[in-house]
Amino acid sequence: MANIAALRIQREFKEVIRSEEVAKCAIKVELVNDSFTELKGEIAGPPDTPYEGGNFVLEIKVPETYPFNPPKVRFITKIWHPNISSVTGAICLDILKDQWAAAMTLRTVLLSLQALLSAAEPDDPQDAVVARQYKEHPEMFRQTAKHWTYVYAGGPAKMPDLDDKIRRLTDMGIEEHNARVALSSYNWDLERATEQLFS
Amino acid sequence: MTTEEYDTEMDYSDSDCGDPGYEDYYNVHPWDGEGDNDIDNDQSRRDPEYAVYDCLRIEEVERLLNEDVESLSNSLHITPSLAKVLLHAHNWALQDIIAKYRTNASSLFINSKIKPLPPLDSLSGLKSQRSGLCSVCVAIQSAEKFSTLTCGHSFCKDCWCMHFEVQISQGISTGISCMAQDCNVLAPEDFVLSLLTKPNMRERYQQFAFCDYVKSHPQLRFCPGPNCQMIMRSKEQRAKRVMCSSCKTCDLIRNCNNFSFRCGIDYHAPTDCNTMKKWLTKCADDSETANYISAHTKDCPKCHICIEKNGGCNHMQCYNCKYDFCWMCLGDWKAHGSEYYVCSRYKENPNIAHESVLAQAREALKKYLHYYERWENHSKSLKLEEQTLEAIKMQINKKVMNYSGTWIDWQHLFAAASLLTRCRYTLQYTYPYAYYMEPGPRKELFEYQQAQLEAEIEDLSWKIEHAETTNRGDLENQMDIAEKRRVTLLKDFLEV
Repeated sequence: MANIAALRIQREFKEVIRSEEVAKCAIKVELVNDSFTELKGEIAGPPDTPYEGGNFVLEIKVPETYPFNPPKVRFITKIWHPNISSVTGAICLDILKDQWAAAMTLRTVLLSLQALLSAAEPDDPQDAVVARQYKEHPEMFRQTAKHWTYVYAGGPAKMPDLDDKIRRLTDMGIEEHNARVALSSYNWDLERATEQLFS
Repeated sequence: MTTEEYDTEMDYSDSDCGDPGYEDYYNVHPWDGEGDNDIDNDQSRRDPEYAVYDCLRIEEVERLLNEDVESLSNSLHITPSLAKVLLHAHNWALQDIIAKYRTNASSLFINSKIKPLPPLDSLSGLKSQRSGLCSVCVAIQSAEKFSTLTCGHSFCKDCWCMHFEVQISQGISTGISCMAQDCNVLAPEDFVLSLLTKPNMRERYQQFAFCDYVKSHPQLRFCPGPNCQMIMRSKEQRAKRVMCSSCKTCDLIRNCNNFSFRCGIDYHAPTDCNTMKKWLTKCADDSETANYISAHTKDCPKCHICIEKNGGCNHMQCYNCKYDFCWMCLGDWKAHGSEYYVCSRYKENPNIAHESVLAQAREALKKYLHYYERWENHSKSLKLEEQTLEAIKMQINKKVMNYSGTWIDWQHLFAAASLLTRCRYTLQYTYPYAYYMEPGPRKELFEYQQAQLEAEIEDLSWKIEHAETTNRGDLENQMDIAEKRRVTLLKDFLEV
């Protein structure tokens, strides 16, 4: 069985490298080891989204039973998105679970993830806090996602007022990432974030 | 040891004669005196627990299912394995399927996942067949190495076989679908078996498929006894007592409105299935497993299978019945567009009135222990009755040897012992019922009747133990009183 998995991955690897999306720098795959069981994926944040300009790294683990079982994929780059855990990077996407079909490829997975970044499904959330913000404060969500893209994925948009609020918390001895998570979760309400961090 | 020998002997005689009705007549079952199936109407009026049922062997059930399959495949002119897919998808409602076929055959086939949704989605599979490339293993193969379902997606036979093996090893059989993206056409049995080569895989596939068929059949259920292969059949819609003739496990069948729900734990009148499940989990609460189960798993709200959430989002899909639900509130996922956040908010409130919680917990524990002790006590007594039965046997032998009456003169003691067991059994299961009852006049009535039953049972138990000094008339009178109390309680409180 492992034989088919390795053969398939080798083949798909070439397919991704040759594909036109690579030419547009939209998706990329790299080998992590020689046995084709672990790969590193990269997707570019799609245009006209808060993720634009960011580069998101994925961990791809290929099971022995691939392609009859789906690959295990999660975000290594921290991201603010309703269907992706802001803590672990776990992804809620049907094709990575029960809707997987053996005829799908790494390329279709990466493109589906890119599509997920442009069209979140807040009714099927992985991260309930993010999803709530997405629905109740869409503008706040856009700002936060953009900010995270800037900080973690090398995005272009710097946001001095948000950085400022984070600095207020780091001055109090809070670790920067924890400060960012608390502020993001409380719609950048400094008072409530502080309260939560010190309770 | 003696009880064990006794049991194996019974099993042996069971496997000897095929007809369960026949063997019931001769074997002394602890409480199966009224097992005759002919006079059901009259019986069900007199005995609230009475149900008509059959105990079937796997081969008998296979024959039963095959009759349905054959009649459907004959009347619709389709292959038996397509008929199986249809029957499984429609819970074996034969007439229903035929009616649907007459009104709209193609929509029936599409809904049952036999044919693909029109229009035929991407022809990539067909294309790949022409070029000889299987898109799963990316190897170039000759045309005769390819196989396809009705959807036209073509893959090489080795890949199909591997796909089936992976699915079967995950316990999936009737639910195996096409390998193409966004295609949900199911692989019927003949297709799977024509490509599956390993004999042990074929065997497992057939076993799993048979299990699925039995589970989807509203009139059938597996005997829950350990390693027991029997299958019960009953048309009964309510919670009733059935008993496996092979392993003597008492069981309960309950079908609720549309979907069939059978709890499969030991018979437990007058307590209903849900209450019983709560009670048993509660009793097992001390063990680490139970703690883990309650902390990490929930029951599927539709089919009640136990589900462990090991990551992922709150949108759950039951592996068993494919029901989509929310992990937080266990509600239908479809209604979850806007209501989701109500579910996640619930977690924030648990430390209200922290002070009185402790006192409440202590009070609750006291109440629980009261019922649990009685429940446990009767459960132990029941086990002791088995010894009593042995003792009675010895006693009778002794008496016959000493010429004090003939063997037949003492048989009434057996009847008395079996009745005692039955009464005690019911009494044991009244405690969970009482524990979950709301306080009020109904509970008072219940506990009054419960106390009456208990008093009569203790009296009966005493009289059996002192059979030498009790005369037969007295004993039979007491038997009658105890049984009447039991039936009255069941009639009043068995809400089925």
